[in-house]
Amino acid sequence: MVETIIGWLLAAWGIYLFCGFVFGVLFVWKGVGNIDPDARNASIGFRLIILPGVAVFWPIFIRRWRSQVSTPPSEKTAHKWSAS
Amino acid sequence: MGHTYRTVTWNRQKRIYDLVLWSGIVGYLIVFMVVGGLTFPNVTIETLLLRSTSTCAFLLLHIILSIGPLTRLDTRFLPLLYNRRHMGVSMFGVALVHATLAFIQFHALGDLNPFVSVFVSGTAGDILSSIPFQAFGALALLILFLMAATSHDFWLSQFSAPTWKRLHMLVYGAYLLLVGHVAFGYVQDATSPVPGVLLGIGAMWIVGIHLAAGFRELKYDRPVAPEDVSADGYVRVCSVDDIEENEAVTATISGERVAVFKHGNRFSAVSNVCQHQNGPLGEGRIIDGYITCPWHGYQYCPLTGKSPEPFTERIPTFDVRVEGNSVFVSDHPNQLGEEGQFESSSSDDSSSIP
Ligand code: HEM
Ligand code: FES
Repeated sequence: MVETIIGWLLAAWGIYLFCGFVFGVLFVWKGVGNIDPDARNASIGFRLIILPGVAVFWPIFIRRWRSQVSTPPSEKTAHKWSAS
Repeated sequence: MGHTYRTVTWNRQKRIYDLVLWSGIVGYLIVFMVVGGLTFPNVTIETLLLRSTSTCAFLLLHIILSIGPLTRLDTRFLPLLYNRRHMGVSMFGVALVHATLAFIQFHALGDLNPFVSVFVSGTAGDILSSIPFQAFGALALLILFLMAATSHDFWLSQFSAPTWKRLHMLVYGAYLLLVGHVAFGYVQDATSPVPGVLLGIGAMWIVGIHLAAGFRELKYDRPVAPEDVSADGYVRVCSVDDIEENEAVTATISGERVAVFKHGNRFSAVSNVCQHQNGPLGEGRIIDGYITCPWHGYQYCPLTGKSPEPFTERIPTFDVRVEGNSVFVSDHPNQLGEEGQFESSSSDDSSSIP
């Protein structure tokens, strides 16, 4: 019983990562420059090094790529809130 | 950041760091295997590899977790912090070797799906020994993977520093899981008290230095006393002589620390939070006219809060006023990028902006 559930969970995780990897290859090749100007002319090494992370966090990047976000978010600290 | 990402931005300091790091790792593995093989001639090479890599990674994790508190206690540890991310990724690499070896040796050849086997196998029997200690190891490995995979500056920028830091705080979860992994693995097969004692010493060390560093932080975060606030919203931070040339004193104002720097008899104040990984700017120095973060060297103009070209970081500035011997700072930051009013401690000072 436990073994079956764990088997399913691991399979789901595997499928999720596989989808992320397929999307990730496309994204690091074509997409990443659109959502972050600093990545536009980046090397193949940079693209490969971010690929494993994109394979995990791909839903974020699908959204940013589709909604044509062109710069990374800027952080908010207590001081930045009161300074704006 | 304002410039193209590189795979790794190498410099001399990082090369030396990685050289020392990897000499240490390889040296440790060799010494462990040679001494282990000579002391226990019956132990197989697989077991030696498994145990040398596992203990190496776990030791590295202790070092990594110590760096933060140690730098808060003594700035001489700062060089360790400079390239901590490479240490983290290296630790993940060594742990991955350990996990892969265990996977091949204990799971790959069984009837059960080997991935499932990692999560369910404990020796059946009493409760203690049926705990699947390797599942703890696997979950810890997942956390270490997430951290290694998001260690490039690209992720810092995409997640923003606070979120990125929250993700990387999971390292404490990984540590707890690994204490479980080692402890339950150990009690199931305990032949000597040594590993148990070492594990306990390690845990006491980690807890101890975090408490020590935490108590020191408390001192910085003391809120400003009401009698130190003037009617027009200026907060008395310290006296003129409390600040060393090119250094800062910090105070918590408007919900966050503010760093008040003295440079060439002038005082200027900025938000204490570095835009890179939120390093404590007030513990840095003014170098070549720029506030320089003690962690990885990001720089900011003390008057405008802007990083020098081609960088685009900006931090809020605060107006400063000197009355008598006291340094006062506005309780409200200026608009981002706006130059803060600053004050000279001597009225005849008319030198130009750094
Ligand atoms: C899928 C992940 C993992 C698996 C399957 C796994 C498996 C094992 C096994 C079978 C042992 C007992 C080995 C023996 O009897 O000699 C062990 C011990 C140990 N593991 Fe893991 N492990 C994993 C992840 C990790 C990680 C990420 C670390 C991080 C540092 C780690 C650190 C240790 C340590 C320190 C020991 C005790 C020393 C030893 O007996 O080798 N393990 N692990
Ligand atoms: S935190 Fe990295 S340079 Fe300031």
